[in-house]
Amino acid sequence: MSTAPDSRSDHPLDPAASLDLIAESQRRVRRGTEPDCRLICLVWGIAWAVGYLVLWTSARALGVPGVVAYVVFGTLLAVAVVVTIVHSARRAAGTRGPGHRATVLWGATWFLAFGVYPFVIAGLGRAGASDDVTGLASNALACVIIGVMYLTGGASFGDRGLFVLGAWILLTGGVATMAGMPATYLVMATVGGGGFLAITVVWQVLHLRRRAGARR
Amino acid sequence: MTELDTVIHAPARLRVVSTLAALRAGEEITFAKLQKLLDMTAGNLSTHLRKLEDAGYVRQTKEFAGRRPVTYLALTTDGRRAFEDYTTTLQDLLRGAGS
Repeated sequence: MSTAPDSRSDHPLDPAASLDLIAESQRRVRRGTEPDCRLICLVWGIAWAVGYLVLWTSARALGVPGVVAYVVFGTLLAVAVVVTIVHSARRAAGTRGPGHRATVLWGATWFLAFGVYPFVIAGLGRAGASDDVTGLASNALACVIIGVMYLTGGASFGDRGLFVLGAWILLTGGVATMAGMPATYLVMATVGGGGFLAITVVWQVLHLRRRAGARR
Repeated sequence: MTELDTVIHAPARLRVVSTLAALRAGEEITFAKLQKLLDMTAGNLSTHLRKLEDAGYVRQTKEFAGRRPVTYLALTTDGRRAFEDYTTTLQDLLRGAGS
């Protein structure tokens, strides 16, 4: 346990140093209590880019994606979900209040939405939807759920990064559905996964610039 | 107003207050999480929290999570106002020094 900051405690600072200290403390609070969008975006970017490329490659060869391709895709998405939940829960731990309750309810909405999701897709299949329609609809519905959840999350928590992600996913879903099968998977991998990775790089550059600015 | 609030105007307490002020209104933080964010010893943090509580700036709520005691901390309305006045005074002082 470090005690370095304590040793300065009895020496008042000048106004500029005090304002710097306030800004640094508040940055630490954000880092310590809010999820790091760069990590979440990176994990989802890899999951989407690799997972959808595997689906696309398999669908091109077989007409529809094979079982192995779905297993790889499902595993990657499951890892991304677990990383997101564990990371967000760790950051939120140790605080409580109206904001925390809203976060818990928002988290529960994810489970509700994706709990209903397989029934909607199964219902389409039972109503006679072809493999192509089922494939397109399952992608499109997932994009709409994730996109709208991120948009509402961004609006509720005042998080611009989350809002941008939501808008990107929603748009990707629209473009990918219009591309048809199996090109939809390629659009999801490049525009969706590639987009996540590009956003991660932009955030990382902005983060490094802010940190360099704070040191000056 | 050009007098800085002496309760807040000490680096360690300023870090405590600005950390608590960064939480949303109505939000509370555990002692352990605050200690981790501030990287302070438990004893030192307790001392500064007591001074802030005596000034009416910080509210402590002690509860049990199972058998484990947990202390939640938050700024009071007076504490939040004092911090806003303090930052306004700092900015006024800086503007005065710059003009």
